[in-house]
Amino acid sequence: MTTMTMAPPAVALHGVSRVFGRGPSAVRAVDGVTLDFPRGSWTAVMGPSGSGKSTLLHCAAGLERVDAGQVLLGDTDLTVAGDAELTALRRTRIGFVFQSFNLIGALTAEQNVALPLRLAGKRPSRSAVRATLDAVGLADRARHKPRELSGGQQQRVAIARAMVTRPEVLFADEPTGALDSTAARTVLDLLRAMADAGQSIVMVTHDPGAAARADAVVFLRDGRVVDRLAGADARAVADRLAAWER
Amino acid sequence: MLGMSRAGLAERWTLFVGALLSVALGVALVQSSLLLLISAAGANSDDAAVPMLGITLGGATFLAGFIISSTFAFTVDQRRRDLALLRLVGGSRGQVRRLLLGEALLLGLGGAAIGVPAGLGVMSLQTWLMRRFEFVPPDFVGEWRMWILGVSIGTGVVLALAGVLVAARRAARVRPLEALRESGAAARLMTAGRWVAGLFFLGGALALVIVAPHGGPAGGQAMAMNVAMPAAVTVVAFGPLLVPVLARLMPFGGGVLGALARANVRDARRRSASVAAPLIVLIALVVGNTGAGESFTSSGIGEVARSTHADFVVEAPVPARPGVATVSSETMLPAEIVTGSGEDRETTDVTALAINPRAYAAVHGTPVELTGNGVARGPGGEVPTDGSVRVRLLGLSPGSPGADLGDLPVVAAVPEMMSGGASLLMLPGQVPAALLEKAPTRSFVALEPGADASAVRADLARFGPVSTLGEWLKADAEERNSTNDKVMLVVLGLGGLYALIGVINSMVIGAATRRREFAEARVTGLTRSQVIRSALLEAYAVTGAALLLGALAASAAFFAVLSTTSAVTGTATLDLPWPLIAAVAAVALTVTGVTSLITSWSATRHPPVTLLAARE
Ligand SMILES: Nc1ncnc2c1ncn2[C@@H]1O[C@H](COP(=O)(O)OP(=O)(O)OP(=O)(O)O)[C@@H](O)[C@H]1O
Ligand SMILES: [Mg+2]
Repeated sequence: MTTMTMAPPAVALHGVSRVFGRGPSAVRAVDGVTLDFPRGSWTAVMGPSGSGKSTLLHCAAGLERVDAGQVLLGDTDLTVAGDAELTALRRTRIGFVFQSFNLIGALTAEQNVALPLRLAGKRPSRSAVRATLDAVGLADRARHKPRELSGGQQQRVAIARAMVTRPEVLFADEPTGALDSTAARTVLDLLRAMADAGQSIVMVTHDPGAAARADAVVFLRDGRVVDRLAGADARAVADRLAAWER
Repeated sequence: MLGMSRAGLAERWTLFVGALLSVALGVALVQSSLLLLISAAGANSDDAAVPMLGITLGGATFLAGFIISSTFAFTVDQRRRDLALLRLVGGSRGQVRRLLLGEALLLGLGGAAIGVPAGLGVMSLQTWLMRRFEFVPPDFVGEWRMWILGVSIGTGVVLALAGVLVAARRAARVRPLEALRESGAAARLMTAGRWVAGLFFLGGALALVIVAPHGGPAGGQAMAMNVAMPAAVTVVAFGPLLVPVLARLMPFGGGVLGALARANVRDARRRSASVAAPLIVLIALVVGNTGAGESFTSSGIGEVARSTHADFVVEAPVPARPGVATVSSETMLPAEIVTGSGEDRETTDVTALAINPRAYAAVHGTPVELTGNGVARGPGGEVPTDGSVRVRLLGLSPGSPGADLGDLPVVAAVPEMMSGGASLLMLPGQVPAALLEKAPTRSFVALEPGADASAVRADLARFGPVSTLGEWLKADAEERNSTNDKVMLVVLGLGGLYALIGVINSMVIGAATRRREFAEARVTGLTRSQVIRSALLEAYAVTGAALLLGALAASAAFFAVLSTTSAVTGTATLDLPWPLIAAVAAVALTVTGVTSLITSWSATRHPPVTLLAARE
């Protein structure tokens, strides 16, 4: 336990704020959040709708500009990084998975997975790409296009695409939000296995069952961190969420 | 990246077919006009043909550049979400740019490959038109040149690359987060480039409008005829601001469909502006230029009517007769004048008129003094008002001998007129008798007060065909207008068709990316026919706005027409071809209506669930 806290966090937020709009109609989507996402561990972010979960995730991943504070990925300050640097980070150190799988419809599963590597100027070997697809259980669907895959399969392709670059941190915004419980379980099993293998994961979710699979749960309300739970089961998470949603 | 380009091309084929079509037709039009211009310049055909083809070529190049760049910008706009996704998984700005430029290169080459053979078809059509209207001799043919292959491929590639350049820069700045929004965040409405282009062309149009009345009859007409184009570009540049505002003023009718259509027009400003753009250019060019042409003709006729003091016009020489006060017999001789020397030497084909100065002055109301060997500058201009010109009278038929009159001093000048006319006035004594006898002569006859007009007319009829001044002016106006119409048809006909295809193109591209929106409307409870009707209402609103804005751009040209005709003739004249305007509006409404029906019908072909289930 001591070694966990001593290791530098995968992502650290210091006093991060993000305000949308101006004047009286301004929305403080993220309001002075200071938070560490530990390395090699899976953290879930929960909270009522509109509490700023997605915005927090986007800020942590360098997709959204922050109005105040600092975001550190390892020892890289994302808030001062330029576009080229952020692009390079997306190719090498950050992976994304979203609720709407955001695959490129024109490309096959295999091509979608290989895309980040090809954008980085690498020539991915077919076997490496196949191995990544195999890891998400889709080796036999390599040549299918997204529209020929089920939602759960598409999401697993998206995870394979995010993992193919072996990122330091995987960001996931409601990765099971559009899936039925069986497909969701497959995806969560996959994430659990990755976390057990040392992958840092930050995941936003509505589902207490999904959050309970993570190592820790952070609760957000009105853009602020209001609570934190570690190693809780689904019922405990649900009770806590209900308390904060009241 | 080229692999990605290819995959992208295959997937979004409707977008790319539209872009390809715009390049192919642009290349075809430019190639045909260029080949015809070169052939006509070489073939020494009708003088009118070469400048007319020059204008056609200029217009074709402008239209091709305009339509291609607006089509490309629109297709890129429609793919913002795809491009943001590329950025999300690690694509750099440079890669997005290279992807789009790569696509444009493929489209340019592909468009040229289709455009070169299509250009041959366009050329035979243009040649047929020009032969039909006798701008070129019946044996005229546009000749193929091998080097045109290089030019056409270059045109396709350059226009495609130039067309996508600005759009690619814009797209490269798309934020990765936009991939996560359902419909992709709307791009900014007015970019810096739009402001710059809009203000630049506004300045150009204003300058032409301001300078035209000071340009004299020929210069003023030329400038006024060139106002519509920059005015149209100005309006198009500000289109994203103007089109939705005007479109929302259109009568939508009440009810939920009207409200939905109105909301769509407001929400999809860039799409509305992209559909309106080619339509605005079409209306501005066709209405602005034919309106200006017709107005200048009427103005010229009116000017002649006011300044000519004669009762009859006889197409023959007329001697003094009883009841006739004055006869100005004017013999028309084709001539060639040379002005300047050395580098500045310039040869111009003109008409010379052999006149009796006293009679000419009495009939046309402007004094002319011809002394010694001197000549006067006629109402057609083109000759300096002092110094000397070298005059060569040409034979009346090809091959027959002319006469070199040598250097003649210009000793007088009559005011230039809107309707033009002869450029040189001279005495019959200066013309060799052989030429003078054969050349056509027109006589303006003024009656003595109290003379019996019908008796004199019968008497004059013995010399040649007689018409009253009114009849003669009317016939002249009709002939000029018909020439005008023919020139417009040759210059604008195919260009207008191209612009119309550009309109269809934008609508097809717009509808292709709306399948999801239509599906959402249907699961919300609209029937298929309600979706189609709402899209039709929206198309009509945008077309209506485009018609108004096209008319606005055309009216800039009309403004120049009014000030120029007023400056030159003293009477501001505007004479609009209403039947043509009505026909163009009807065609525009029909084409957009039918296109909207077909595209939204086809976009709603599948049950809505199949579309909403796909999450790409
Ligand atoms: N681009 C934006 N412009 C303006 N306001 C925004 C924008 N993005 C988010 N917001 C606002 O910020 C607040 C937080 O939004 P966010 O999407 O982070 O919520 P969330 O916790 O992810 O909600 P949900 O669970 O519904 O996804 C909301 O009030 C939202 O309206
Ligand atoms: Mg969210």
